Amino acid sequence: MIPILQTIYYSFTNWNGFSASWVGVGTYINLFRDSVFWRVLLNNGGLLISISVALFLPLVTAFLLTQRVFAWRFFRSVYFLPTAVSWVVIGMVAMRFFNGMLSGEISALIAVLLTFIWSVFGTNTVIFVTGMATMDESLYEAARIDGAATFQVVRHITIPLLKRFIQFAFITTLITAFTALFSLIFVMTGGGPGYGTTTLEFFIYQQAFTIGNFGYAATLGVVLFVIVFAISIAQMRLFKGNEGEEG
Amino acid sequence: MGFAYKRRIARVLIFIVLSIVAVVMLYPFYFMINTSFRSFQQYQSKIGHSLSSWMALFQNLPVGRELLNSAIVTMGAIALILIVSTMGGYAFAKLQYKGRNAIFLVIISGMMIPMQSIIIPEYVNLANLSLINNFLGAILVYAALGGPFSTFLMTTYLRGLPNELMEASLMDGLSYPKIFTRIILPLSLPAMATIVVLQFIQVWDDLLVAMLFLQSPSVRTITVGLATLQASRMTNIPVLMAGSLISALPAVLVYLFFQKYLVTGLTMGVQK
Repeated sequence: MIPILQTIYYSFTNWNGFSASWVGVGTYINLFRDSVFWRVLLNNGGLLISISVALFLPLVTAFLLTQRVFAWRFFRSVYFLPTAVSWVVIGMVAMRFFNGMLSGEISALIAVLLTFIWSVFGTNTVIFVTGMATMDESLYEAARIDGAATFQVVRHITIPLLKRFIQFAFITTLITAFTALFSLIFVMTGGGPGYGTTTLEFFIYQQAFTIGNFGYAATLGVVLFVIVFAISIAQMRLFKGNEGEEG
Repeated sequence: MGFAYKRRIARVLIFIVLSIVAVVMLYPFYFMINTSFRSFQQYQSKIGHSLSSWMALFQNLPVGRELLNSAIVTMGAIALILIVSTMGGYAFAKLQYKGRNAIFLVIISGMMIPMQSIIIPEYVNLANLSLINNFLGAILVYAALGGPFSTFLMTTYLRGLPNELMEASLMDGLSYPKIFTRIILPLSLPAMATIVVLQFIQVWDDLLVAMLFLQSPSVRTITVGLATLQASRMTNIPVLMAGSLISALPAVLVYLFFQKYLVTGLTMGVQK
């Protein structure tokens, strides 16, 4: 707890690691005037959008897995395997795989996003399979007897019952996307070309430990914390709104 | 064309789709293994296999030392986290005292703080204590990062145990510390297993903390060693792949043996 308070304090200073002098809210005004900051934030926006894919594909796959075809447990274990592998190793292999894509700003970002989706795919699939396993089989039976099509069953029974699990997967994927991709980016692209794949967390590292601009990095650290917190709260509100609608 | 026939076709199609996904998930592993058993020339010509890259890895790079360093840091952090989380879980789940819920809330909100937001002051704090390039420093940071979630997990687990157990033990004249060591600890083994697996993967695979707090080569972990090779623009891909495999192996083995506990840990947060 103490370090976050320290971060908040230092976010108002021009700290260089040895000495800090008080600047005040000026640090935040400078931050919002910095065009690089907005460029970096745009990359985080890309990550946010890719989360929808990182949830949708596992949702479909989990539904297929719960049909319990031959060897489904084996498939589940295989999909989950990347969870145990470090981002450094994943980045190392992805770098060869996306070799030709890493020189353009947009294509490099796409390569990072695809690697990210691949890596969290198994974790989210397992979360959804666990969620689907908690459902009552008799509900499905009843729906089938009523003559509901598979699509309708998924839309009106599976999705609402899975809500808690979708929310949970969203939050963990968001936290991964915004705070755990440092190693992947470090190995795969180094944040480049230019600021093409620099996300907020990577920018913090660069500012602090490459440039020595600790005060600026602390300001960014506070912004990152606020963003993750705000999105988490927003999605909770959003889901609550839906509940009222359906009920 | 009966219902059963259609159903069978659907199941075959599902199997095919799942197999294709499995290939996508496994291909990088195949690439790593296949490439590591080639020399650089063999990699370029895509013909033949040999052990030369593996030998180069162990002869030219301090892989053994780095694996040992990783093991020390990982074990140390896990031990500390286990001590903190079992005691914390016991205190939050089974003991009554003023301000308990408030303290628990503070711990929980600790889970929401991104590592990048606190890593800088943490670095300066430990530098002031001259704990940079010291295993203890890194272990403390990992424990601080993994502690809140582990304590939360342990509290959730212990709350599930019946309170009568506590009351009966108190009646039998057991003191609170005795109840902890004789009753709570043995019962919390499954939750401890979950914490060990989650934290093993977390700490073993980490780059940022290890890179900042263990900089000198003598204390460098395997994950950092690998990233350093990459950053030094080493272009011998087969050796890099062999290094990747050896660094990934311990966490993958832990995963293969304790998969069940990992799944429990990952989905524990949903049950609220």
